[in-house]
Amino acid sequence: MAALIEANDIEFSYGKQAVLKGLSLTIKQGEIIGLIGENGAGKTTLLNLLLGVHPIQQGQLTVFGQQPGTTATHQRIGSMLQGDLVLRGVTVKDLLTLAAARYDQAVAPVELMATLDLTKLANQKIATLSGGQQRRVTFALALIGNPDLLFLDEPTVAMDTNAQQAFWQRIKKLKAQGKTVIITSHYLPEIQNVADRILLLQGGQLIFQGTFQALQQQYQQVEITCQTELPATTFTDLPGVTAVSQDVQTVHISSEDGDATIGALTPFLSQLHQVTVSRESLADIFVHLTKGVIA
Amino acid sequence: MNAQLVFDGKRLILRNFSFQFFSILMPAGFYLLFTKVMTSGTVPASFNAQYMGSMIVYSGTISAIFGLAAMLLHDREEGLLQWLQLMPGGLKAYYGSIGFWTLVMNAISVLVMGILAVVVNQVNLSIWQWLGVLLSALIGQLPVILLGVMLSFLNRAETLSVISNLVTFPMAIISGLWWPMSILPSWLRPIGKTMPTYFVNDLLGQITTHGTLKATDIMGIGAWIIGLALVALVVTQQLLKRGNGVVKA
Repeated sequence: MAALIEANDIEFSYGKQAVLKGLSLTIKQGEIIGLIGENGAGKTTLLNLLLGVHPIQQGQLTVFGQQPGTTATHQRIGSMLQGDLVLRGVTVKDLLTLAAARYDQAVAPVELMATLDLTKLANQKIATLSGGQQRRVTFALALIGNPDLLFLDEPTVAMDTNAQQAFWQRIKKLKAQGKTVIITSHYLPEIQNVADRILLLQGGQLIFQGTFQALQQQYQQVEITCQTELPATTFTDLPGVTAVSQDVQTVHISSEDGDATIGALTPFLSQLHQVTVSRESLADIFVHLTKGVIA
Repeated sequence: MNAQLVFDGKRLILRNFSFQFFSILMPAGFYLLFTKVMTSGTVPASFNAQYMGSMIVYSGTISAIFGLAAMLLHDREEGLLQWLQLMPGGLKAYYGSIGFWTLVMNAISVLVMGILAVVVNQVNLSIWQWLGVLLSALIGQLPVILLGVMLSFLNRAETLSVISNLVTFPMAIISGLWWPMSILPSWLRPIGKTMPTYFVNDLLGQITTHGTLKATDIMGIGAWIIGLALVALVVTQQLLKRGNGVVKA
């Protein structure tokens, strides 16, 4: 797949405060990217650079092989930013019609509203809609130009469960159409489920970029639970084990090297029952990484 | 541009109760009140024509300082400007459309006050005088439009509301829009005669009563336009330098 975004050794600072420090990345067409990081990690600045809001200070950055922020790149990008456009006296249809007029390859507003289940809201003033409905309108605005690249910032905030499910289904369909999606969210389970790759920013640097599975491999923390009559002390000296606790016949083993611990448990398998192995979720790993346990 | 015009026309005129009430109905009501209800004896025809001009200026001032400034601030606060900046075409169509509808708002006030003046008070002007009234109202209101643009740079809607009140009503009073300047204290009159609303009101008065233009009024309006345009330009540049329009993630 062709590279849609190429960043090479980007540095960016606000005055004397360095925000991005030697950031390099490549994003290919058709990828779903989860961009995560603590507040102040540099996500905002990176997004601003990709959208062309800020000029590049150092390094090289191309979007669709061009400088960001040109009319040509804007034609191919859809943005769903954090705030919703709650304008006085404006209906859903008004806003989508205005947006559609700006793009060469726009989807017809009526068609898009039907696809996103917004038809019933077409003539309602945006200010009268619920937070979740406003968020769906903002998503429609991001899609109206039939973009090849989508920036979605906290996309499912205020959406109810049904709307969230429909949203993620739509994202999967967009991926199937070859669209590239960059999502920033603090709801990490969403990112874990949908992203092909994760970019983890900390202190202006990318401390990880790769699949969630690769992140789990890199971060081998696992929790093993089993029923056994063996004493807990049997497991304390196994490789990788960091803690063992026992609750009647249930033993909980924490390991920082899951593969090694699981291998060492093999001789005891006949005496272990109802074994469950839980690898850390993205949220757990994120907490560990951003607290400096692994960096 | 067409889509932007339709979009803004609906929200600025058709669905904007504040414009309809404060910019049109209220000045129209004042016009009827001061020329028909609160009068004694015979009102001179020239007063009916002159007061029409005053209410046209007052209507335009309300539209610019309350309506336009509030709309620009609202659009910025709600993220419309940021959103348009990230789309093909940028902000040119937006500003073009806002400018167009602001002039239309002024034209509507000329039309409404003109109809009232003719129908209710039998004001009789030549076609050239009407054209002069329209053009003078549109061009002469540019200073207050620029003032509205600058007030929209304030950070909070609450602050804007307070300052709009502090600017509009004293300016309307001391520049003779509501009452003749002759009833003002003598020390206040020279100040009133420097206000942009005074120049355009005086110009409209000249056109409606004598069918002539007054050079000092035109120069006064021109000076205000140049001065405020320069200030607006500097303020805009400063805001852009501060990094207005940052996308949050």
